[in-house]
Amino acid sequence: MIEFDDVSIRYEPDGSDILTGIDMFISEGEFVLVVGSTGSGKSTLLSSINGLVPHFTGGVLRGEVRVDGRSTREHRPRDLADIVGVVPQDPLASFVTDTVEEELAYTMECLGLAPTVMRRRVEETLDLLGLEELRNRPLRTLSGGQRQRAAIGAVLTAHPKILVLDEPTSALDPGAAEEVLAALHRLVHDLGITVVMAEHRLERVVQYADRVIELSGSGRAIAIGEPTTIMATAHIAPPVVHLGRVAGWHPTPITIRDARRHADALRTLLTGQVPPLRAVPDPNSPPIANLDSLRVQHGTVTALRDVNLRVDQGDIVALMGRNGAGKSTLLHTLVGGLTPTRGSVDVTGSDPRQLAGPELLARVGLVPQEPADLLEAATVAAECAASDKDAGCDSGTTRAIVALLAPDVTDSTHPRDLSEGQRLLVALAIILAARPRLICLDEPTRGLDYPTKARLATILTDLAEAGHAIVLATHDVELAAEVAHRVVILADGEVVADGPTSQVVTSSPMFAPQVSKVLSPQPWLTVGQVQRALANLGGTA
Amino acid sequence: MSNATIARVSHNRTARAVPIGARSAIAIGFTTAIGIVAFGWPFLAAPESSVLAHASDAPIAFALLVPAVLIVVLAQFADGAMDAKSVAMLGVLTAVVAALRPLGAGVAGIEPIWAIIILGAYALGPGFGFVLGAVSLFASALITGGIGPWLPFQMLAAAWIGLAAGLLAATPTARRWRGSHPWREVIALAAFACLAAIAYGMLMNLWFWPFTIDLAPGLAFVPGEPVTNNVLSWLRFSLVTSLGFDIPRAILATALIAVAGRPILVALRRASRRAAFEAPIRFESSRD
Amino acid sequence: MSTITRQASLTQAARSYRPEARWLHPMAWWSWAIGLAIAASSTTNPLLLMGIIAVAALVVDRRKPQAPWARSFSFFLRIALLIVIIRVLAQILFGAPTGTLAVISLPALTLPEWFAGVRIGGTVMLEPLLQSVYDGLRLAAIIVAIGAAGSLASPARVLKSVPAAVYEVGVSVVVASTFLPQLVGDVSRIRANRRLRGRPETGVRALTGTMLPVLHSAMDRSITLAAAMDSRGYGRTADRSTADRLRTGTALLAGIVFIAVGLFFLLGTASQDWENWGLGIVALGIVSAAVSLALAGRRSTRTRYRPDHWHRADIATLACGSFTAIAFALAARIDPSGMATATQPPTWPSLPLLALTALVVAALPAFFTPQPPKDFR
Repeated sequence: MIEFDDVSIRYEPDGSDILTGIDMFISEGEFVLVVGSTGSGKSTLLSSINGLVPHFTGGVLRGEVRVDGRSTREHRPRDLADIVGVVPQDPLASFVTDTVEEELAYTMECLGLAPTVMRRRVEETLDLLGLEELRNRPLRTLSGGQRQRAAIGAVLTAHPKILVLDEPTSALDPGAAEEVLAALHRLVHDLGITVVMAEHRLERVVQYADRVIELSGSGRAIAIGEPTTIMATAHIAPPVVHLGRVAGWHPTPITIRDARRHADALRTLLTGQVPPLRAVPDPNSPPIANLDSLRVQHGTVTALRDVNLRVDQGDIVALMGRNGAGKSTLLHTLVGGLTPTRGSVDVTGSDPRQLAGPELLARVGLVPQEPADLLEAATVAAECAASDKDAGCDSGTTRAIVALLAPDVTDSTHPRDLSEGQRLLVALAIILAARPRLICLDEPTRGLDYPTKARLATILTDLAEAGHAIVLATHDVELAAEVAHRVVILADGEVVADGPTSQVVTSSPMFAPQVSKVLSPQPWLTVGQVQRALANLGGTA
Repeated sequence: MSNATIARVSHNRTARAVPIGARSAIAIGFTTAIGIVAFGWPFLAAPESSVLAHASDAPIAFALLVPAVLIVVLAQFADGAMDAKSVAMLGVLTAVVAALRPLGAGVAGIEPIWAIIILGAYALGPGFGFVLGAVSLFASALITGGIGPWLPFQMLAAAWIGLAAGLLAATPTARRWRGSHPWREVIALAAFACLAAIAYGMLMNLWFWPFTIDLAPGLAFVPGEPVTNNVLSWLRFSLVTSLGFDIPRAILATALIAVAGRPILVALRRASRRAAFEAPIRFESSRD
Repeated sequence: MSTITRQASLTQAARSYRPEARWLHPMAWWSWAIGLAIAASSTTNPLLLMGIIAVAALVVDRRKPQAPWARSFSFFLRIALLIVIIRVLAQILFGAPTGTLAVISLPALTLPEWFAGVRIGGTVMLEPLLQSVYDGLRLAAIIVAIGAAGSLASPARVLKSVPAAVYEVGVSVVVASTFLPQLVGDVSRIRANRRLRGRPETGVRALTGTMLPVLHSAMDRSITLAAAMDSRGYGRTADRSTADRLRTGTALLAGIVFIAVGLFFLLGTASQDWENWGLGIVALGIVSAAVSLALAGRRSTRTRYRPDHWHRADIATLACGSFTAIAFALAARIDPSGMATATQPPTWPSLPLLALTALVVAALPAFFTPQPPKDFR
């Protein structure tokens, strides 16, 4: 179905190769997962399947890519639109029309199908993806999961044989991600569609995959095989795989179910051990942030209802909950961007609404969901200089922090040309320039690969040890398990759980990290904890 | 898999966002001629001609003719020259213009849209500028529900401004300044914007000026008078009526370009680069 | 007895006739509105002009949907009033003192010679004042007629009815209208996020500081959108022979050239013959352009999902608008004094029968067209 014949791709005629010597064959009806760190060429690989590389992006393609017998040398993306459907990473940016029904029909209009055929297929697709009640809704009012399904539906109406998806679940909460993956699973198994998908959050997806393609070494090396084989040695792997490696399980389990079969022995080994306690902050010292009976309204909608929250020095608090539960609203209230209808907000002793400028920056900082919102200048160097001026600190401070957090960022790059992870770290550096007592982050792990996430986790832990308080809104349970001292779960604007991480995340399967699911009822949350415990055992034994 | 060294060399034919071929150039030329008649018939019509005899019908007749001509010209442009990138960029910039239009504090004519149209045309080419001017005025009227008989004339005038701004960028001086003297570019564009804004106002006056038969002889259109007299009357009419609109519009456009012109140009040029309008596409055999 | 029951059953039948709610073809409404506008430009009879405005208001009131874009009609009525007022004011201030009946005497101020000695104020005469009212009313009626179409025909559906030859332009307008609310959302979000960098949210700096990230993200999104459109098959063209393409291109150019040449003739000549020549050439140009547009439309292989069809009601609306325009134009020829109310000496406006009939016909679409459906797309 998809054939790569010694394919090498580079964008600049005299530049370096992005992908080198890719030889692979994907047969019909396979669910293929592409993994690799940022910059390894995943997007290029996916874009070359339907010819966007090089027809749309320009560049040099050596070798040949054949899709259902058609070569991308002669066929441009529009010629392959009837067999390849590409679902981009940000569906909202790629919607042409306003409503769900029209978007579903748009592809078919371009392909020139008869109106009766179009009508029929629109109805079929609405049913298939569970979108019937949403047919006339404007696309921008849909939730993340609905939008992703609408995007899949929009390309599905052409009845393609292949679906290519670039990180479909990165912006979704676990529930919505499940919906989308289940829909894809159904498409593969019921309709026999070949699905090729790139994803960072492997813990959600790897169990669905028939085969895994791992790109490493900046696209120079490629390994293709069964998930178990690849994951046994892959650099990028979900926590359950790392646990398997640490515990020495063979064959390496890739699902919770596989892992639990091996878990008994490990549990016996670890009996009596407990993960190290995280330092409890001194309850008598004044809190860095305190929300008291907070109520915030957006027009007629109550976004936050009777919320109480206390954040102390050195605390890392993870805010979790479905998309739309009020996490962002809470963070923006902490920064003083929103006025509460009732209740009080106190950050380092003052109301953040009264603060502005360097005064505000020294007390609280927020890295928003879209870090690029903060970046205005034309180069990283200019951005850092502006940040020094805004924060009122010595010139060069921000640049030094950027060098610490993201050493591979060069001065002359345009901030928007940076990768997702680099952009986040630069934005974080800008926030850190004024050394705020309270640092907030809104969904920092969107689009981050595992190595960058680990880096972020280390940075956050170091910051907490240095005395900063951190509030982190995320639906990445692994990150929360890794760094958070406390977890607060919001649902529909209310706090439904607030307690130490180990208690809260293990109480519900939706928020439990993989390690906890494998080793329950024991209170282990991360691979790191298990590894240290085993090392202790090894040391004393 | 052939053994030949290079299978194919194909250059992306849209070296600019919307290229102007020979046919498009001819179409624009004649459209401009028609537009000059549509705006300037009070001056161009011979004293006893039939156009002047039907002076009251002429505005609406031209209001129907100009859109037809514009559709034909745009069809000529669209014929194979507007690919997805041009259309997407056109759509996005049109949205920016449509968003800016209501910001004129409700006063007709004082809209900050000219900065975007002129800078967009300068960065992306005269063909794109022509289409951007026409389409953005149309789209903003459609979206905000303000379609009136003035719209075809607005579209044509804006298209001319876009075309002129794009042609400015093609002059050798501009090419020399590009990249090396950014401030000179901005100043030139600001001056152009000032002139363009005033010219736009005066042109739009031409639309309803013939309706003013019966005003004082020094201000009104008098069919049959010598051309110079009518031109002077028009100028005086413009001075009287447009002072409230044209001068503020010119000031706003000039100020916007002077203040934000550089970063906006940088942004547009970066987008043009990333869109790879000019990137060559090459296929090579792997058995080299 | 039987006549009464028959009459009753007829009225009952008429009342129960509710054409099912559907959208009228947008071009039907637009052609009706343009017909009304052409009619308005053929007359300066204030009664007829006010009649046109009333007809437009009636149709809009009865057939406008519950949609945000349909609320613009009141704006047009206000503009119409404003135009009349401004025209009258201009006449009062700058009017030439022709005529015999004085209305009011204002203090005069004569401007210097280089301004042609225009006199501001002075005695205001009735005749030119009346004429200015009629002129203003005419422009107002044209504007109201066209504005009515804006409230009756959905912009989204207008875009779908765009001729296939300019499909690309239609798509870009669709993209613009889809993108606009996102853009507005971006602006407010980015402006609020300026606080996070300690920068002021209001002021000139805020304006430029907000505009730039918005523009950047808009441009980046346009590229993502273009890639998505390409992948979905946008821009597929039918295979056409070179001869076919040459034909289309020539017809296109010929259309424009003929129109230009025809206009040139119309401008410069006095005799009736040349006028007919000129009009003929322009007409030829328009026909050629229409043909070329149809030909060019065949190059795209796209189809339309749920296109609007021309049903009887749509054609009838088109017919009503055309009839009104033709009737008014005809009436202007055969009854000039009725259609162009004289002001010197001022006379009471009359009601020419043909024009009146045309007005009634123009109002008919308020009754026989179907109601717009409740979902406003």
